Amino acid sequence: MRPFRSPLAASLLGLALALPAAALAQEVRYYDLPPGGRAHDVAVTADGEEVWWTVQRGGAHGVLDPDTGETTLVPLGEGSAPHGVIVGPDGAAWITDGGQNAIVRVDRATREVKVWPLPEDIGPINLNTATFDRRGRIWFTGQTGFYGRLDPAADDMQVWSAPRGRGPYGITTTPSGEVWYASLAGSHIARIDLDTGEATIVEPPTPDQGARRIWSDSHGRLWVSEWNSGNVSVHDPRDGSWRTWKLPGEAPKTYSVYVDERDKVWLTDFAANAIVLFDPVTETFRSFPSDREGANVRQMLGRPGEVWGAESGTDRLVVIRYGG
Amino acid sequence: MILLMMLAALAAPPQTRDPGERAFQRCGGCHSLRPDESSSTAPGLHGVFGRRAAAAEDFAYSPAMREAGRRGLTWDADTLERFLADPEAVVPGTAMPFQGGPAAERAAVIDYLRRRAR
Repeated sequence: MRPFRSPLAASLLGLALALPAAALAQEVRYYDLPPGGRAHDVAVTADGEEVWWTVQRGGAHGVLDPDTGETTLVPLGEGSAPHGVIVGPDGAAWITDGGQNAIVRVDRATREVKVWPLPEDIGPINLNTATFDRRGRIWFTGQTGFYGRLDPAADDMQVWSAPRGRGPYGITTTPSGEVWYASLAGSHIARIDLDTGEATIVEPPTPDQGARRIWSDSHGRLWVSEWNSGNVSVHDPRDGSWRTWKLPGEAPKTYSVYVDERDKVWLTDFAANAIVLFDPVTETFRSFPSDREGANVRQMLGRPGEVWGAESGTDRLVVIRYGG
Repeated sequence: MILLMMLAALAAPPQTRDPGERAFQRCGGCHSLRPDESSSTAPGLHGVFGRRAAAAEDFAYSPAMREAGRRGLTWDADTLERFLADPEAVVPGTAMPFQGGPAAERAAVIDYLRRRAR
């Protein structure tokens, strides 16, 4: 297809941040996307040459060249409304498509689209987010109360009802290969037994906290963005411990969490209209407010030295480069 | 494993003949239709028809939605259609994202809400 060419309108903001000298080299840059697509999730390839986003209101896989700002849209199919996108172990884009109620793979080289629909009798489960285990299988959440697993090599898909019904949202894989999801409506996290599919619930200490997304650090500790409480919390499965911090501001709304290769924790706060960096060592927050109102960064993902977010409210991608 | 799959199938909602009820599954991850049942995530939709935006008393709305209510946004078939088609265009800053589905499915959801959410 013909690429959609956007002007190199990405605005560059060199932020002079009052950080220690070693952390000063931070750069915030925005990339304009085709309007109206409502970019929901984002992923960057390991080589940094492509950045992918889900065109949730447009049914497409978005591809950004971060050097030129050029964008390409790959249609995913009739009724598509993709929510999540990740880079699979095969280097392809793997997409949770709520509109098609399907897991979708887009080949990086050929842009070939392959669709695995969920079983028809389950109905639309509001597919949300996905992660790969260490056996080449992709696990996914459905916010209406399901999680599931696709083994692409065998075209084998299984779906389970979540133990407390609606809510499964973010999902992550730890360095040791465990898969955990967060339940927004259920206000808990859960570990999935990769053999039986059984989910075991673990309750955060804050009641009704709204565990929205979850990410593992390099030690297998699970960081949770709590939408209702405005907290970020961390659970260590090795000793069962929890720690919790409130984000800055009067009534923060913590939407997403991502942990970078330095084990620094990137959060997004809808109330502050900002990306927020949390340093677990110093227990301090640093805010990166968007330069536009209603940015609504719903997810972040990165590679060493840079972290990306998708502003669904402004149809932009944002990158913060902090050096390797 | 087979037993688990059977249990999962039994636990799954049966395929419904009502296209609106089936389409509402997209909404049901957050919203309830029962009276006075907002979750901490999303307001209840019982009585949504004719209700001003941000008027459910038991839900903490976003500043964006509260402002839309102050400006007079009221939920009816037309405003719901526009909101479901592009929530962040109708109420910039709302936390609710586009949920997918073609116009016919949105119409089915709105009709379902009209029938069930009164």
